Amino acid sequence: MGDDTDAKEKDGDALQYVQYDGSKEETYLPAIRQLISKDLSEPYSIYVYRYFLYQWGDLCYMALDSANELIGVVVCKLEPHRSGPFRGYIAMLAVRESHRGKGIATKLVCMAIDAMAARDADEIVLETEVTNTASLKLYERLGFLRSKRLHRYYLNGNAAFRLILYMKEGTALKRPPGMETAPAGQMMGGPPKMEEYRGFAQDVGVGEQAFVT
Amino acid sequence: MADPSLLHHDAAARDTDAPIASNGTGPAFASAESSSFAQTSLPLRQAPRRGAPPQIHDVTEKFTRACQALDVGQLIKDEYFTLFESIGAIEIMDAKMDSGFLQPGETLEDDFDLLAPLLPEELIGIMDQLLSYEMAWHTGYPLSQTLFTSVYIDRLLYPEPKTIPQAQFYRGDIPDDKRPGTLLDVLRAYCLALIKGCDYVIAKIMARDYFEEEDFATHTYNRVLFVQVPIDVFLRELDASVEMIEDSDLKIDDELRSAIIARLHFRKSFLCALDPECPLELLSNFWPPVLPHVDKVNDTQHLGRTVPGSFSTKIQRRLASTVPPRPIVEVEFKDALQTLKQLCADCEEATRFKDLPTDPLEYQSFLWTFASRQPAPLTYSRSYLSNILFDPYILNAPVSLPLEDVKSFVFHESPILDPANWALSPPRNPLMPKPPRLQFALLIDEFVERVGQPYLDLWVALGQNRCRLRRMLTHVIIAWDMLQQDAVFVDADLVVHALQLNIAEEVMDSPLLTWVYIKKLWMIEKVIILGFEQDIYLPDEHAGMYYFLSLTAGKRKDALQRCAEHLSERCIQFVQKSRYQDTNDTDKKLAFIDSELQQATGISAFAKALHGFYVIANYLHLLPCPGRPFSTEELRYELRMKPFLTLQPPEVPPFEEFQTALQPYGAYSDPKPSINDDLKQEHSLPWTNIDASLKAAKDAFADVKKRGAKGAKAKGVEQAWNKETQGMLASCVALGVAVAGLKSAVKNTELGRGPQLKVELPTVDKRYVGGWVVPKIVKE
Ligand SMILES: CC(C)(COP(=O)(O)OP(=O)(O)OC[C@H]1O[C@@H](n2cnc3c(N)ncnc32)[C@H](O)[C@@H]1OP(=O)(O)O)[C@@H](O)C(=O)NCCC(=O)NCCS
Repeated sequence: MGDDTDAKEKDGDALQYVQYDGSKEETYLPAIRQLISKDLSEPYSIYVYRYFLYQWGDLCYMALDSANELIGVVVCKLEPHRSGPFRGYIAMLAVRESHRGKGIATKLVCMAIDAMAARDADEIVLETEVTNTASLKLYERLGFLRSKRLHRYYLNGNAAFRLILYMKEGTALKRPPGMETAPAGQMMGGPPKMEEYRGFAQDVGVGEQAFVT
Repeated sequence: MADPSLLHHDAAARDTDAPIASNGTGPAFASAESSSFAQTSLPLRQAPRRGAPPQIHDVTEKFTRACQALDVGQLIKDEYFTLFESIGAIEIMDAKMDSGFLQPGETLEDDFDLLAPLLPEELIGIMDQLLSYEMAWHTGYPLSQTLFTSVYIDRLLYPEPKTIPQAQFYRGDIPDDKRPGTLLDVLRAYCLALIKGCDYVIAKIMARDYFEEEDFATHTYNRVLFVQVPIDVFLRELDASVEMIEDSDLKIDDELRSAIIARLHFRKSFLCALDPECPLELLSNFWPPVLPHVDKVNDTQHLGRTVPGSFSTKIQRRLASTVPPRPIVEVEFKDALQTLKQLCADCEEATRFKDLPTDPLEYQSFLWTFASRQPAPLTYSRSYLSNILFDPYILNAPVSLPLEDVKSFVFHESPILDPANWALSPPRNPLMPKPPRLQFALLIDEFVERVGQPYLDLWVALGQNRCRLRRMLTHVIIAWDMLQQDAVFVDADLVVHALQLNIAEEVMDSPLLTWVYIKKLWMIEKVIILGFEQDIYLPDEHAGMYYFLSLTAGKRKDALQRCAEHLSERCIQFVQKSRYQDTNDTDKKLAFIDSELQQATGISAFAKALHGFYVIANYLHLLPCPGRPFSTEELRYELRMKPFLTLQPPEVPPFEEFQTALQPYGAYSDPKPSINDDLKQEHSLPWTNIDASLKAAKDAFADVKKRGAKGAKAKGVEQAWNKETQGMLASCVALGVAVAGLKSAVKNTELGRGPQLKVELPTVDKRYVGGWVVPKIVKE
């Protein structure tokens, strides 16, 4: 980034928090990519960024300094999950190293959560490395709980926690349309019969979210 | 952050908790045959299609024209194009993503001369480096970043040789003076055996349930690892190499000579141990001989010298063009050897499975204990054990394994299981009612068949990595919940026929339901305990989760109590009828039930004590408690209880009840003033409750310990069982110390002023038993 030296000067600057806007891709996307890929072992292709920003640009927030330089960014999506709930997902979050520890990420995440709440999200989920103290602290302070540990989730062999924040009562028992009456684990509907049950192997494709915290 | 490794991952496999690879588990191990067992089939990876040559159309111009119609940033995709697919995209001509991209002046291949003669030191160096990569592969990295970076391995496999003699470091004819020398030949034999070993490993892992890339990468990038070639071919090559090295005409330093021989011996013994054809009864002979060779390899590692250029990332370009270039995985040799030793030790331990008594509860203890080994067994070792467990010899035991399990809890010398029932034939006239005893047999057969799949599911779950185990258990619990609903009907029918025979007093109330329920509750307890072990619960959640654990174990205790009471009644009945042998047998069964009962009592009581302690710690603000502006207690409770919300009977207490148990003095931030006095008084309810629970827990665990591993049906894992039981007792003592510390500190300070105290929660490696977080009180 090369600007850590003048970070101090900028400290005095009030940051602006702005929603992403697709018409400004050329202004912001290169900076977003650069900021995010710093913490990745492998870069995402431009397609991944567009996948989020084109569909959910309004769930992306940026922190900019007075010179309009990108200091932090959060990227999300929001869509029905196959297990039922309308699920928000925080896909990327990063703050420039020189500006960390000042609540910038917290602010960005809060804005994203508010936006998703306004759009009626049932829950918000994300994954983060089990050793990422800053990220765990940030999300858990806001109300996220750890729901599972994911073995060897990252390329470096590290494990992740999945974090979840419920926004609404009844989220745990939400089912996809057409399956509202089926209790968890028994997606066929109707009372369980001896012959019908063939073990969880058959539930592949329905997805774990229906059954697992 | 989204997982960068999701790049190019099999998305479907990643996001589901069911295993992606699974094969039939063979015929039912139950008495009745069941076709459903053979069909746990799941989506399998597609084999690359071969056939008509592809036709190539140039679309450049059309494509360019079409693109002009797009705005910058605009995305074209259909509804089914998922995030995972988008993550799989790479950018051509970006050096970090495009493995085919050449930097200016970079060559496509290395010009390493595979036929250049090797020094003995170099041979050792290469062998050891190969071993390191082999172990890195075992820990989960793909072959493309490990073994397949070896130029020697690459050449042996590609272009694909038709026969083993063709598998050389060259192809076709070469002049005699270029022919590889002895040391290269030895390296070749070593590599061949290594490759065959990889083939065996893949075969064994793929034969059982595992998660591709999470547990292990079986991908071979269309290289065929000598699948069809039998083991003796490789053993002969190794033997011939040993002879060549031993030959006194070969001028080489003796130390180096014996170091090379040690590596060949190791390779041979290891390959034999990996051989999937090895019959069950011989398995245990093959692991012990490996270790001494490993030690010799270890002792002579310093003799080796690396050969620059003998490993190269450039080979990746020819393996998988759609994956970004990835670095070679760096492993320390000593770590690799540690991994290898662990692998050998775990597999050797797994072979002990076949010597267990034919008792599914001993099996269950073994599976659980194996899964709990530290460090966690590698995927290969877990598959190795699963392959033994699912061996027809074990699975097709002469007795129905699930039924044996049922018997241990609820049917004791029961008329329902009288073998004579199975000897009866139905009446000629189908309209005539079947005799009640025959009905018993039919009902039991039906139930046993019904149990089969959920029962296997539990075993499969116990063979997964620890994170998966916890999540998979929550699925299995749902399956057992459905089983429980079915058991009700079978129980009702059993009663009808028992009444007809006038032997109702010999049959326990709802026997099958009780059995299913006991097993289901056990699984719920394990899910909670694993949650603690995996740091799923934040400190301020401990009180609630231990409360829930205490409730659950308490219900299991009650169910076991009913079993024990029935058994005692049976004993009296036998004595009255002078059936002394039956009395004796029943007594033995009672020993197991009592052990289980004490265990459940201990768990429930100890969890209750912890619950009590953490509640007080919450009131005293001794645990971090995040502000959580976006959440409420109700919402968090719902999230936590999600896996159990649908269970019948309801296991999750209503929120109000939960809250009352957790906040007896009202909100932590604003407690009733009476808490002050109560906490200052040693004999107030909050403290006496904890003390009583702790005492009950200690007594129960002491009793369990006295009854021993055999009583608990854990004889096969006695050492580990003793250690855990001892650990539970030690945990009780440690909690006693913490409680005393807190009590005395609170006595001397005003509440709210905050006693100068800190509660320390030990990390998992510092606990006596992983799932039991016993706090420590530290005075500041
Ligand atoms: C995670 C990240 C976005 C946080 O940005 P930030 O602006 O510094 O975050 P905030 O200041 O809002 O909050 C971070 C909190 O973690 C704390 N923290 C930071 N590093 C920490 C550490 N190593 N140990 C303990 N706490 C730490 C901060 O002190 C702060 O808590 P506080 O307000 O109680 O002091 C930033 O560190 C980052 O960009 N990391 C790399 C990318 C990444 O990990 N993204 C998240 C993955 S989803």
